[in-house]
Amino acid sequence: MIKLENVTKVYKGDVVAVRDATVDIGKGEFVFLVGQSGSGKSTFIRLLNREETPEHGTIYVAGKDISSLGAWKVPYLRRNIGYIFQDFKLLPKKTVAENVAFALEVIGKPRHVIRKQVPAILELVGLADKMENIPTELSGGEQQRVSIARAFVNRPLILLADEPTGNLDPQTSVGIMKLLDRINRTGTTVVMATHDRGIVDTMRRRVIELDRGQVVRDQARGVYE
Amino acid sequence: MAISPIYALRETGQNLWRNFMLSFATIITIGVSLWLFGGFFLVNYAVDNATARWEGGIEFVIWMNPDASAEQDANIRNSLESPAISSFAYVDQDATYAEFVELFADTPEMYEVVTPEILPPSYRVIPTNPDADVVQELALQFADRPGVRDVVSADETIRQIQNQADEISRVFLIVSIILLIAATLLILTNVVSAIRSRGSEIEIMKVVGATNWFIRIPFMLEGLAQAMIGALGAWVGLFFLNNNVIAGLGDGDALELMRGFRVSDSEFYSTSVLMLGIAVIVSGIGSMVAVTRYLDT
Repeated sequence: MIKLENVTKVYKGDVVAVRDATVDIGKGEFVFLVGQSGSGKSTFIRLLNREETPEHGTIYVAGKDISSLGAWKVPYLRRNIGYIFQDFKLLPKKTVAENVAFALEVIGKPRHVIRKQVPAILELVGLADKMENIPTELSGGEQQRVSIARAFVNRPLILLADEPTGNLDPQTSVGIMKLLDRINRTGTTVVMATHDRGIVDTMRRRVIELDRGQVVRDQARGVYE
Repeated sequence: MAISPIYALRETGQNLWRNFMLSFATIITIGVSLWLFGGFFLVNYAVDNATARWEGGIEFVIWMNPDASAEQDANIRNSLESPAISSFAYVDQDATYAEFVELFADTPEMYEVVTPEILPPSYRVIPTNPDADVVQELALQFADRPGVRDVVSADETIRQIQNQADEISRVFLIVSIILLIAATLLILTNVVSAIRSRGSEIEIMKVVGATNWFIRIPFMLEGLAQAMIGALGAWVGLFFLNNNVIAGLGDGDALELMRGFRVSDSEFYSTSVLMLGIAVIVSGIGSMVAVTRYLDT
């Protein structure tokens, strides 16, 4: 599903964010990206979403080389990739349902599809009774569930999560991880950058560790270490 | 990817409302600049039409002294009975006073202090040969004759009208171009402001896979809407200028030389279409620069 071949990303000032990374992630896998702050986790995620392009190497997503993808094709790539932010990035003036519907509306989905899919996904994330609330009326955990619903409402093949539990307490984080696990069991590939040792050690999924941009460990059923 | 018209209109409306004051200022600037731009064309059309009339029958006016003797008057009249003159009409002091009253109908204080006796009678002359040089030469023959106060040939007056019209339209054009540049910059600023105030939404749109055009269209429509509303205001102003000012000048019987100073329907509508085109270009430049500079993927 995702394949990186000798990928290097260098920022201005010769800052190497990812160095010669080669990784192969299969369909339906759940992968933790771990490492210290500045190790390149976020850049790794942004490369997969084509927010960044590599200086060297090739990135394949669903069999397509996205490193050389034309700019006009990028939006169509992103429709197959859900993205979860650490700070949720919900639109404060829109209701929960409108926030989720927004993701479908802006890719041109018809209204009847939106009316059907939004309640279904909110049911999945356990927020069916909060559809008309605005984000400020929700707890942090609930806001992150809305963010997950928005990322998953278009049933993407891949879900990228950049520190999705970074702003949540441990108990709420467990709930979020259960939800991501449930989504992963539908066949969706999940790549999650995290600092949360407890979550990684509990879930025992594949762990890729980055250190100064280099992949220093790639372990099946790994721990944070 | 097709963009829903409801979505586009809703987002455009929200953008306009969010920056209401700036939008309003932009609309006014566009309206005034387009009105001046349209006015430039209308004045030119009107002058062309007025002078075209004179080209077919250039005439001159011999103004007599109010106290000219009957003999002096007879001499002039005899001279006008010439093959070089196609026709002439004598306008006596009472008729001149009537014209004067009509001309200054809105300002009674002007004609209340004037009596027919102090106004000069005149001969309105149509030469056989309408060539401007011939008319000028004929007019000069009467200039120094006893009892003659002044001779005014139409071509001289036309030149004056053209010069004044040129000056007015030049001012219209210069001011309108400056204002159109200001309007373009205002549209740009307005769209940039809307883009910045919707930064979070745009980020989400990009992440979930909205195309560049889908993101851009509401912002471009915002610029277009401002330009179209401004153009509508300018069109109403031009309609007023044409129907009340230009048509009023052209219809005034007292303003003999201004007769024919009018704009045809086709000239008015072609000016309106041109104005609309300028509005589209101004909004296109302003909003395109804004979205390409501030909405890159």
